[in-house]
Amino acid sequence: MNQVAMITGGGGGIGGAVARRMAAGGITVVIADYDGSAAERVKDEIVASGGKADALAIDVTVAREVKAVVTDAVKRYGRIDVLANIAGGSAYTKRIEEFTWAQWKEVMDANLKGTFLMCREVAPLMQKQKSGRIMNTASNYGVTGSALRTPYAAAKAGIITFTKSLALELAPDLVLANTVAPGPTDTPRVMEKESAEARKQRWWPQIPLGRTALPPDIAEMYYFLTMPESAAITGQTFHVNGGVVMP
Amino acid sequence: MRLKDKVAVVTGAAQGIGRATALAMGREGAKVVVADLQAEKAQSVANELQALGAQALAVEVNIANETSVKRMAKSTFERFSRADILVNVAGIYYPKASVVDLSEEDWDRTININVGGNFLCSREFVPAMRAQKSGRIISLASAIGHYGMRQFSHYAASKAAVMGFVKSLAREVGVDGITVNAICPGSANTAMPRQHRSEEEVMERLRATPLPHILEPEDIAGAILFLASDAAAFITGQSYNINSGTYMF
Repeated sequence: MNQVAMITGGGGGIGGAVARRMAAGGITVVIADYDGSAAERVKDEIVASGGKADALAIDVTVAREVKAVVTDAVKRYGRIDVLANIAGGSAYTKRIEEFTWAQWKEVMDANLKGTFLMCREVAPLMQKQKSGRIMNTASNYGVTGSALRTPYAAAKAGIITFTKSLALELAPDLVLANTVAPGPTDTPRVMEKESAEARKQRWWPQIPLGRTALPPDIAEMYYFLTMPESAAITGQTFHVNGGVVMP
Repeated sequence: MRLKDKVAVVTGAAQGIGRATALAMGREGAKVVVADLQAEKAQSVANELQALGAQALAVEVNIANETSVKRMAKSTFERFSRADILVNVAGIYYPKASVVDLSEEDWDRTININVGGNFLCSREFVPAMRAQKSGRIISLASAIGHYGMRQFSHYAASKAAVMGFVKSLAREVGVDGITVNAICPGSANTAMPRQHRSEEEVMERLRATPLPHILEPEDIAGAILFLASDAAAFITGQSYNINSGTYMF
């Protein structure tokens, strides 16, 4: 049976790599992104290489949009087997006293609330199916914290524990929920702010494997969590970070 | 074939998780060294692998004995000329004893086999991996290494030590393209828990997990296979829990 995956942030660096990896593995991917045209581009690329994909725009912090998108996907495909919540990001680097309440909420919502809303909408469907795989996205900063990223680190720590709680709730229905925690990854979004050379100087000496990640390095972990051989894994956090953090 | 032409050394491969790992790797195209203290059982797993069309070599090894480990490495290089993957599964669990009743001999034996064996085997294969600028070392730790267990302080300490060893080795050899990780299984459907529990107790515990999925050796082997594959190139120093949701670290 053809699996169907919904991937938020699927138009971005890591999300796009996850969509491509899952599609290459024969999964039909619904690419949802705040930037609808980015989602379209990833879709076109996948379709051109023989995969099955759909693209749409979504703001995961708006409950009615989440509901509409999930309802629509279910109408179209009849099921959702995989939900990869990748939408999110740190957005700001600034001292706590410089964070406005609006900015704090913006970061918390994009990461934590978006994950909650997506899971709330998709989980009942997976419970009915008696199968499903949910992957939420944290960061090594969700474990170590990060100066100048207080809301981001808090949201990512929140995602880890949210996912454990969700895993316990959904386990009786064979729905699995795990967290992937990527380390420093060269995505187009971070490369806009920092040159490859600057990233190399800053990161490479700190990382035991001697380099930063590329999005496909991270995507493999999401793909593993869709496979039959990960059927006994739930509530766990998978750090993929070249060894920069070893919790 | 995710491990085509890779040479994998699996200790403790005569039974349980080690056997499932050896078979899974053989199915994925690896040439497998089936290493175990139980030579006859190791040979029968090697035979199973050959029946699957995989190349396999059974080797008798005591992982807590330096000479024996060196002999295992020598046999590996003589037969297959290289080593790409080392999976440290061999270990012991018994005896059950509270700290005040635990003998020094039993303490030493557990630590020497469970952690010392990791050290001796890793030390023997790292130079070849370093020379080829690639390698995968995967060691079996345990959820018990995180949360402890009454009457198994020696086992818990040894498995926590495995995680510390794995992290340190990962930091040492990362620059050479070698990844080092641990897998922490929950209680699995193997012979090990049956050493100190009745069949009924074992099955009851296996069914008492949040996820209604009895943890089989193949579930652990699947995660080991992933870490051994190219897909896990950016993962090192991690301890991944596979336990049907029993414990979430």
